[in-house]
Amino acid sequence: MEPLSGIRVVEIAGLSTAYGMRMLAGLGAEVIKVEPPTGDQLRTFPPLADGVDAPENGLWFAHFATGKKSVVIDTTTAVGREQLQALVASADVVAEDLGEAGLADVGLDDAALRAEHPGLTWASVTPFGRTGPKKDWKGSNLVAWAACGVLYTVGFPERAPVLPGGVVQVACHITSLHASIGVQLALRAQRLGGPGQLVDVSMQDCCVAVAPETGPPLFLDDTVHRPRSGNRRPIVRPFGIYPCADGYISFLALLPAHWTAMAQWIHEATGNETVIEEVFNEISVRSDTMDLIDGWTEELSATMTKRELFLEGQRRGIPTTPVNTIADLVADEHLNGVDFWEDVDHPALGTVQATGAPMRANPWHWLSGRAPLLGEHTDEVLGALS
Amino acid sequence: MSDATDEPNTKGPAKVLAGVRVFEVGTAIASPAIGKYLANFGADVLKVESRNNPDVVRALGSAWAAGVEELAPFFCDTGPYVTEMNAGKRSVALDLKRPEAIEAAQAILAHCDVFITNITTPAMAALGLSYEAVKAVRPDIIYVALPGFGSDPTSLYYEYVAWGPNQAPLVGLDNLTGYPDQEPAGVASVALPDYISALHGAIAVLAALEYRDRTGEGSFVDISQFEANVNLLGPFVYEQALNGTETRRMGNRTPWSAPEGVYPCRDGDSWVAISVTSDAAWCRLGRVIGADWCSEARYATTEGRIADHDLIDEEIAAWTRGYTPAEVATMAQAQGVAAHALIWSEHSIIDPQIRDRQMFHAGPSGRFDVDLWTGVPITLSDSKSGLERAGPAFGEHTAEVLTDLAGYDEEKIAQLADAEVAYLQHEPDHRLTRPYAGYIPFLVPSYVEEI
Repeated sequence: MEPLSGIRVVEIAGLSTAYGMRMLAGLGAEVIKVEPPTGDQLRTFPPLADGVDAPENGLWFAHFATGKKSVVIDTTTAVGREQLQALVASADVVAEDLGEAGLADVGLDDAALRAEHPGLTWASVTPFGRTGPKKDWKGSNLVAWAACGVLYTVGFPERAPVLPGGVVQVACHITSLHASIGVQLALRAQRLGGPGQLVDVSMQDCCVAVAPETGPPLFLDDTVHRPRSGNRRPIVRPFGIYPCADGYISFLALLPAHWTAMAQWIHEATGNETVIEEVFNEISVRSDTMDLIDGWTEELSATMTKRELFLEGQRRGIPTTPVNTIADLVADEHLNGVDFWEDVDHPALGTVQATGAPMRANPWHWLSGRAPLLGEHTDEVLGALS
Repeated sequence: MSDATDEPNTKGPAKVLAGVRVFEVGTAIASPAIGKYLANFGADVLKVESRNNPDVVRALGSAWAAGVEELAPFFCDTGPYVTEMNAGKRSVALDLKRPEAIEAAQAILAHCDVFITNITTPAMAALGLSYEAVKAVRPDIIYVALPGFGSDPTSLYYEYVAWGPNQAPLVGLDNLTGYPDQEPAGVASVALPDYISALHGAIAVLAALEYRDRTGEGSFVDISQFEANVNLLGPFVYEQALNGTETRRMGNRTPWSAPEGVYPCRDGDSWVAISVTSDAAWCRLGRVIGADWCSEARYATTEGRIADHDLIDEEIAAWTRGYTPAEVATMAQAQGVAAHALIWSEHSIIDPQIRDRQMFHAGPSGRFDVDLWTGVPITLSDSKSGLERAGPAFGEHTAEVLTDLAGYDEEKIAQLADAEVAYLQHEPDHRLTRPYAGYIPFLVPSYVEEI
């Protein structure tokens, strides 16, 4: 038995719940993804698998629907809306990102349904939440980062600010993780004798909550504006991203021991005698000579690969990490050594290397699996309802 | 259920995690943020910390306190992160490298349900606080560890250092951040991987509590922060395996909707984000701008708009330059187009939506009459939640916890304090004030209601 065995979750939503509900599936819940007859929009997001026909070629869906069931319901028909009502009535949890207008479109009234089924937990995930003057505003991953103060601080000063994490859609995933925490809390409250609850999650709120660095708690205290500063921090150097022989490496030499180890390394590798002079042990001196230190650091980094720099930097006790590409991660010796990757058997995609469990637990276990084919569980699930 | 029935940190029985006690040995964000979330829903979270190996947020302190001699003894209480990460917790200060402190910790642990840490596995083992050691004291303990690279001592990066700003490059986020024609910009202004790890940790704690309630058994959960974060890259890992291609930096764009971008506005460094997420939204944005985009066949599909994205961006920017970010966002949203001003620094606290949602909170601690923190963004309709107290002063609750949970008497506590095995709060009557304290009633509506 897994922690959430026996819990049925009906997911009527896209990316802003996808990862969080995948977590609940990994913990044992039965997560049913409701899809229109043409397939969920997530199935159409590139990258798509070469040589595989739609709708089973979508790799966002393949990853984020892992472990879920697929039930096709055509909510544009009266029969479909009835099926959806019945499915929702059979659920412990509904997770949706439709907003008030979208719920009405598919014939769902969450207040009425919750009144009718007092045990039902209802997770509402929207760009700005269910209350407040912007409750009906539209959103996106980009808009969420704009609305929390983070986007303004990311990028190079001479260009427009740029998305943290880019196409990874980190705001959606952070929001979805909050939704799954909310669902777990609501399920616990219900098991302890309370009613099912409405869990209201706003993407804007979630992004505010993970970014005090760019928000009021820090700013009000020190009144230091933190404009975007490119890929190096304007505090001390080396601190940030440096070019190397085959890409980029990240150094963070902030503590005294980190600097002395860094200086020694530059000295040994490049023959630089100045860098080990004691005057540079003073952080204020390094703050005043950032360009000089950057130049010395680049003389070192340019001669080595990111992997060589990573291993040697760590050996010397300097916080050093490679700026990993996807290919680097797939080839990473540590991830391979700990058997992180999993081979997933998918009827349309074949046997594919995929990311593994995000946690390792005992005595229960994280459930892996694969994404469902479109409508794979329609008969099984809807059949059991009638 | 816990044996804890008296919950000094919670108010009323309606909080979901009332009765759950958490022993937290953490630093910075990845495990302290879990404790804050659990405290928000009623858990009694004991932040167990030491002076010799302090939580980095204690060492950071506050800019206005740095180098001020008379504030030196209180410096560890001043950092804004102390409250941001630790609001609602109790500080139990013990020098865990001393055997008497470990004895006290074990006496406390016997009354705890959950153990969370992001200290490295070898360091926890050296202290005598490995899973096995804690389980010996509390057999049904829920032990959630978040080491940078997991708890497998045979793994290659087991002893490597992964500080917050250095994680985003490692886990692949930095390389995907930036414009295609430029070096990666990276995301170091925020610590996203730490929070992503913490959210995984909170989910693990709640799952394990559920499991214990069903079976009576505790759990060990090992969360490698590296693995948890790489999990977000799943679609691109599939792409490597199936197509042999790699998704790269694409600025503010996505390959499934267009246009999306950050556009310059009227006054200097001011920007607005716009996401057109459907063909209908594209048509409506044209109406806002005064362009007849609805009838342009080549722009009728996402593919067509992606092909001409640079040109479209110029057209949108020519329009946005005439307005403030808020004006653009309001006009676009009135037509159902996703848009928002890029707010920054203090602006989020006065943003009408964030204000209405009460995302910022204020309350007292053992050092400040009033301090400010970001709330937990999960609203439950029928359970109480929220944090009443700011982050604890160092050692603020050492004596009460040693008395109530370890069963120590005054004399023993005094001995431990004299020997610097335990630390009591330094001069509790010495109060500090944030430079902006006078504005808090204006900035935090919920605080006004409380006073």
